[in-house]
Amino acid sequence: MQTFSVNSCDMAYLDVGEGPPLVCVHGSLCDFRIWHCVLGPLSKRRRVIALSLRHFFPGQWDGNGDTYSIAQHVSDVIGFIEKLDVGPVDLMGHSRGGHVSFRAAQRRPDLLRRLILAEPGGELDATLDPGFKPGPSPLAARIATAAGKIAAGDVEGGLSFFIDAIEGPGAWTRTPAAPKQMLRDNAFTLIGQARDNRPPFSRADAEAIAMPTLFIGGARTKGSLPQVLRALAAHVPNSTTAMIPNTTHPMFEQAPQKFCEVVLEFLGAP
Amino acid sequence: MQTLAVNGYDMAYLEIGKGRPLVCVHGTLGDFRTWSVVLGPLSRNHRVISVSLRRFFPEHWDGVGDDYLMVQHIADMIGFLEKLGDGPVDLMGHSRGGHIAFRVAQLRPDLLRRLVLAEPGGEFDATLDPSASGPTPSDRAARISASAEKTKAGDIEGALELFFDTIDGDGAWRRLPAAPKQQLRDNVFTLIGQASENRKPFSKAEAQSIETPTLFIGGADTKGSLPAVLHALSAEVPGAKTVMIPGCRHWMFEQAPREFSEIVTKFLADA
Repeated sequence: MQTFSVNSCDMAYLDVGEGPPLVCVHGSLCDFRIWHCVLGPLSKRRRVIALSLRHFFPGQWDGNGDTYSIAQHVSDVIGFIEKLDVGPVDLMGHSRGGHVSFRAAQRRPDLLRRLILAEPGGELDATLDPGFKPGPSPLAARIATAAGKIAAGDVEGGLSFFIDAIEGPGAWTRTPAAPKQMLRDNAFTLIGQARDNRPPFSRADAEAIAMPTLFIGGARTKGSLPQVLRALAAHVPNSTTAMIPNTTHPMFEQAPQKFCEVVLEFLGAP
Repeated sequence: MQTLAVNGYDMAYLEIGKGRPLVCVHGTLGDFRTWSVVLGPLSRNHRVISVSLRRFFPEHWDGVGDDYLMVQHIADMIGFLEKLGDGPVDLMGHSRGGHIAFRVAQLRPDLLRRLVLAEPGGEFDATLDPSASGPTPSDRAARISASAEKTKAGDIEGALELFFDTIDGDGAWRRLPAAPKQQLRDNVFTLIGQASENRKPFSKAEAQSIETPTLFIGGADTKGSLPAVLHALSAEVPGAKTVMIPGCRHWMFEQAPREFSEIVTKFLADA
């Protein structure tokens, strides 16, 4: 694959199409391939650059070392855009990749033209959620258990525990073979995820995002993700929100045409 | 993307992993993304090179032009392997890409080390099927040209449904999830080219002339002519191995990526 050397790591990326650059950042247990189903429509009007964050496939990581964290991935995305060297880019992130993109926008607004956050992952502090209780997220203990199994060599056990914890009992068994395989290809990143060290979002963080921002989500997504999306969207000054009917968290896989239509309309004429 | 200029066309490809090259050729309505699901396991042992043939995504082709031809795609793959310049490679093709890979093996065995044909597409001539009960070029031409006409008329969903259901059974297109549907939709205009691609039937002598060690791999539940083509060819290709994966159909590597990758990796590793 094509790569850029960023912070001493070769970051792989797929680069398709011509036009203003749109950099795409995948979420947990995914990699550059998660955007495959939207590459067609998006690349008709944009140069789409789908990167793989450090330690994700095509990387083959063993889970050792302290270089998997939100802070590291934010620095890497910033370094990647600098290396790209094409002036301000549009940046799109899904789930944990939305968190990374938000933090990159916070730190380096000069690098970005527009920002798209597809159900960004994260927690809300007391300034955004009066019910906030400090301490590790409820998911942390489950991630640690799954990571332990994977580190011990039980990849299937770790993944099934993790997916069932998020989606409900039996979810791993019901997952089709193709998405399962991508999770397997990135299983060792869960070991890093156990010490991701992700600070919660604050109201001041959201208010500081200056560029035009699109929040996009699935109208049927359950749990904390829609709550986080709404809380951030309410405080990012120049933001719009679009919820895609009949979809959940992987909304662009479930409705690729609608997703691309919304994104391209937001990005405007090239 | 990475590209190689071949016969006046920039062929895009995705390259992952280190080791001996394994070049992968997609089928009808596919592109370099066809092999995504097996990139992880296969790239542990190989440098996997997944190409997009002329006129397929990432090009956004409008169906105009006369260079979407079986002979052109075969010449392009031969040119691609020559340009790659890495000595003999392992070559794997799925469906129509299996047809292309077979023809490369026939014409240029010097370029290949091993050959993997995953339900290659094709028809028989009289030497392979004297009873003429197998698929004939006219059956196929009729359904492809109907799909091409729908595409030209702007009925994209109708064209895709007609083509896909012919291969994977009635109702298969409607049941297919949105993500794989979109990747096929990205290539719908290639159906217009395919209506006049001019693909020749396989003969017994052609199958017998394949010198490259060959694996035929299929889905045990695939319906229609594809399994018949696979078995007819594998009976004649000298020393060919055949593995049918239980519980799978034509997109067997998506339905059983681990089993598929294990079988292919083992075949390629055997001395």
